Amino acid sequence: MLRINNCQINTVSGQISLPDITLEQGELLVLTGPSGMGKSTFLHWVLGDEIEHASISGDIILNEKPLNDLNVEQRGIGLLMQDVHLFPHLNVLDNICFALPALSKNQQGKKQNKQQRRETATNMLEKIELGYVAGHFANQLSGGERSRVGLVRALANQPQALLMDEPFAALDPNTSAKVSQWAFEQLQQQGVPSIMVSHDIDNIPAHAQHIDLGAYFHSTSSASHAKRN
Amino acid sequence: MATKIRRLTLATGWLLVTFVAGLPVFGVVLGLWLSPPISWEQVSVFFTYNGLLSSVLSSLLLSLLAPIIALYVAFTVYSQYRFNPRWQALEQRLAPLLSLPHLAVALGIVYLFSSGGMVWSVLWELFGSTPPEWFGLGRKSLLSMLIAISIKEVPFFLFIFSALGRQLAIKDWLLQGRALGYSESASWWLLVFPTVLKQSRLALLAAMAFTLSVLDISLLIGPNIPELYAVVLYNWQTGFTADEQAMAFLGNLLLLTMLGVLVAAIYTHEWFAIKRIRTLAVMANPLKITRLARIFTAWLGLFSLLTLAILLTFLLWSLGWNTQSPFSAASWSTTLWQDEWFFMQTPLLNSLNIAFFSSVLGVAITLIALELQRQSKRYLPDYVWLLAILLPQLSMVYGWQIAHTDMSASYSTAWIVLSHLPFTFAYSYLVLRGPFQSLDRHYELVAASFGYSYWQRWWQVRFMLLRPALLSALAIAFSVSVAQYIPTLMLGAGRVSTITTEAVAIASGNEQSITAVYMLVQAALPFIAFFIASVLAQRLRGSFDAAHQ
Repeated sequence: MLRINNCQINTVSGQISLPDITLEQGELLVLTGPSGMGKSTFLHWVLGDEIEHASISGDIILNEKPLNDLNVEQRGIGLLMQDVHLFPHLNVLDNICFALPALSKNQQGKKQNKQQRRETATNMLEKIELGYVAGHFANQLSGGERSRVGLVRALANQPQALLMDEPFAALDPNTSAKVSQWAFEQLQQQGVPSIMVSHDIDNIPAHAQHIDLGAYFHSTSSASHAKRN
Repeated sequence: MATKIRRLTLATGWLLVTFVAGLPVFGVVLGLWLSPPISWEQVSVFFTYNGLLSSVLSSLLLSLLAPIIALYVAFTVYSQYRFNPRWQALEQRLAPLLSLPHLAVALGIVYLFSSGGMVWSVLWELFGSTPPEWFGLGRKSLLSMLIAISIKEVPFFLFIFSALGRQLAIKDWLLQGRALGYSESASWWLLVFPTVLKQSRLALLAAMAFTLSVLDISLLIGPNIPELYAVVLYNWQTGFTADEQAMAFLGNLLLLTMLGVLVAAIYTHEWFAIKRIRTLAVMANPLKITRLARIFTAWLGLFSLLTLAILLTFLLWSLGWNTQSPFSAASWSTTLWQDEWFFMQTPLLNSLNIAFFSSVLGVAITLIALELQRQSKRYLPDYVWLLAILLPQLSMVYGWQIAHTDMSASYSTAWIVLSHLPFTFAYSYLVLRGPFQSLDRHYELVAASFGYSYWQRWWQVRFMLLRPALLSALAIAFSVSVAQYIPTLMLGAGRVSTITTEAVAIASGNEQSITAVYMLVQAALPFIAFFIASVLAQRLRGSFDAAHQ
């Protein structure tokens, strides 16, 4: 379960006091709002990345563990962006192997060797009928394939939560609809609580929670204007 | 404890990079600081030295003109190649062309185009006669130097423009220009050139500083009476008497003053050029003359042809061909190679040894310098790191030589490696800075989200993506080290011979055939380095692929 409490985003243009967020296993929260309001910045804050041009405060708790003092690599939170950043020096299979936890166990409970890790990654690709791209490099994939491989790679890491920054925005509407539906099913099946930033208000899944940042935004200039009045 | 270790590591890292990047300044300052006792009489002797004024003026003229001609040619070539399919071919061949040693190009041009040179001999032979003696470039003249350096510096400026072009919205500017009715070639000069010129100051200074104090080419193809200033100064610097030492000190001061003059000339030229372009822009001049730039589309072909011709000439000379003998394969022999192989082994091994260690260390220290700046989130200005190529070599090496002598240090390859290090470092920095700084940080962020620690990310993502650029940097650094003459000669005192020092020594005599053997080997070393680097790079995917997904 992912909880974010007392969250306040301060930017040059204004302030956002978010309502407390609670996401159970497999639940999805969609964040919308006008450009420049801090949606992506918020995701990077949850991830533990360094924030520029804004300050954010609040408590992040994942499976009852406070995360605020942990680095990105210690949080166990996955990230999927519009450009999924498949590593160009690794093929698809090795990209997924790179994401598999270092201590992945085989059936005998021992640490997987290289061959076994590659088999695990191949199985993940074959499950979604993408086995044929295993040996491909990022620049040899279509946009839809890249997005799906990106999600498989993110899930291969077994994250306890996933953050998605407009992950399907670069796809054409048809592919976007198909890939996003498939992605949400995967996240639900695997029980990963997720937060997705999106511009597409019309295609928010029915089961998702939704926060429009615009509704919680207080402009700095109007605040100071009100004070003066 | 961990914080203490981290601080200690950081401090050691900064100390190391400051030492290597600061060695050139150390050399220059030391050369000026440890002044021998100088009397007014010696100052007077210095300024009345026979031919000094001519030497200084010739050197200034050459150092000013050759880089500026190269800059204009390079910009015209760049404007013809940048947005067409030939660009990729040019970018791929740029590094190997850049690596061809200056000395090989200069001597190659003389072998080809001097009076009695290969080109004229072959042409005249077609008509059954021999070329007249007055025809062709002088074997030792200012014009030969000017042509050789201008030609050789073009790939360097193209390399700089290629890096600059990635940061400028050139395509948009050209589109705006064309939408306003200007031709593309006019838009290049009216809209792009002023910005590129301003951002090429350091590159111009590097080319000028090089030309000002280049010794090997000046010795071999520079004019004799008066000699170029670098040769005059070198003779003082290697003198033993108190008078010669005084002259060396004063000469060093004058060399640095000349560099100052060149810096002023860079700004003056820039001011005039931009003012002129502004006037043309205000007058909406269509710059029809720029259409002639189309002939520069042949540059890559011509330069590649010249390179091949140079190598072929050296090869033919090394096989026994000369201007007096008929052009027939029957008289070719490998005797010279067999004879010289015995003498060449030690210099060749020294060159390989020194180039290997100084290039690997140069690249490694460049990575440390870039990483330290990334961690401190502040990149120091480029000139801080590029001092080795911005200051005249004769001034800095003079200081190093004084320190080396004062320490009674040995004449070993280790000292030569250290003396090459600032140069391999500066060129590696020039090559690696762009790819290192522009690497998309999100790759490492994604790796962090998978649980990888900072150094795991650095090694498995950043370093791996930088491998193709690192190979290029290694090849360039290797070539730079192979071509070093002044530091090898002055710190090695002739006891550590390399292919380059041997080549210059032999070329100073009249043995054109043996010189060709050494020139060929000197030119072959960078080519081999680039060949290996490109074969390896083809197997790797890196930052270029990251930017072109």
